[in-house]
Amino acid sequence: MVTLVTIKKGFTKGLHTFWVLSKVIIPVYIMVTILSKTPVLGFVADLTKPIMNLVGLPGEAATAIVIGNLLNIYAAIGAMGAMDLNTKEITTIALMILISHSLFVETAISKKTGVNVTSLVLLRIFGSIIAGMALNWGWPE
Amino acid sequence: MARIETIFNVGFISETLVGLFKLLAEMFIIVIPLMIFMEVLKNLNILEKVSGWFTWLVKPFSLPIQAIFPLLVGLVFGIAYGGSLIIDAAKEGTLTKRDLYLINLFLVINHSVIEDTLLFVAIGAKGFVLIIFRFITSFLITWLVAKYLLTPKRLESS
Repeated sequence: MVTLVTIKKGFTKGLHTFWVLSKVIIPVYIMVTILSKTPVLGFVADLTKPIMNLVGLPGEAATAIVIGNLLNIYAAIGAMGAMDLNTKEITTIALMILISHSLFVETAISKKTGVNVTSLVLLRIFGSIIAGMALNWGWPE
Repeated sequence: MARIETIFNVGFISETLVGLFKLLAEMFIIVIPLMIFMEVLKNLNILEKVSGWFTWLVKPFSLPIQAIFPLLVGLVFGIAYGGSLIIDAAKEGTLTKRDLYLINLFLVINHSVIEDTLLFVAIGAKGFVLIIFRFITSFLITWLVAKYLLTPKRLESS
């Protein structure tokens, strides 16, 4: 039976969960915003360019993918807007970013659940590259 | 020194604060009703029934029925919300370390399926392809890891 006690319990749990999430997200969010103002992104993008060949993407796509990984999806979409891409390229970049994005924030959240997060990050990055390669190979021309 | 002054100006502070506020507000609006909703479902014993419809989702990874709701929430709403349910389950002790890891793995690769996919469809991506490939990737990787993480001894070393 649903009583006031039930609602109160849910509300309290909600507050506690919100507090736990906030403690994690606030510092990471600030750090990531600072990061976006430094040359780090461009530097990492240059390192990532060789992978673009494997997934059938132009070199400039590396910037969008790095932004998606280190910042968030919205920033990556913003970066993609400035590029000239066909449907296949847009879909491939989208797939890779969907699998691996917001690594700092989302990993911090996963860490709160008590699991080993290093392997999660590695598997995401690995997964996104494999998926990109599969899509590149399997796209019907 | 000039570099630091360039980063930490008024524009940066207001940009960060606005962005943070929007993010936290969105989280608050979803987390509170979600936890209340979950408590109500639990109370009415509906949670177990609905979870029963989705056992096919977790059977390949040998996960318990309690893993289903966090997975579904994460798939639909996103990692923060699926994650909060996982944190809750971890506190109550209803899921093992192995369960927690596998749910996390599946979700980090595949979450917020509707919203995130639509964001990219809006700029010209093929939504159907995105959903299918993302599900295949998450299923494949989680399944492969589940095969090797079956032994508890493996968990203690990680």
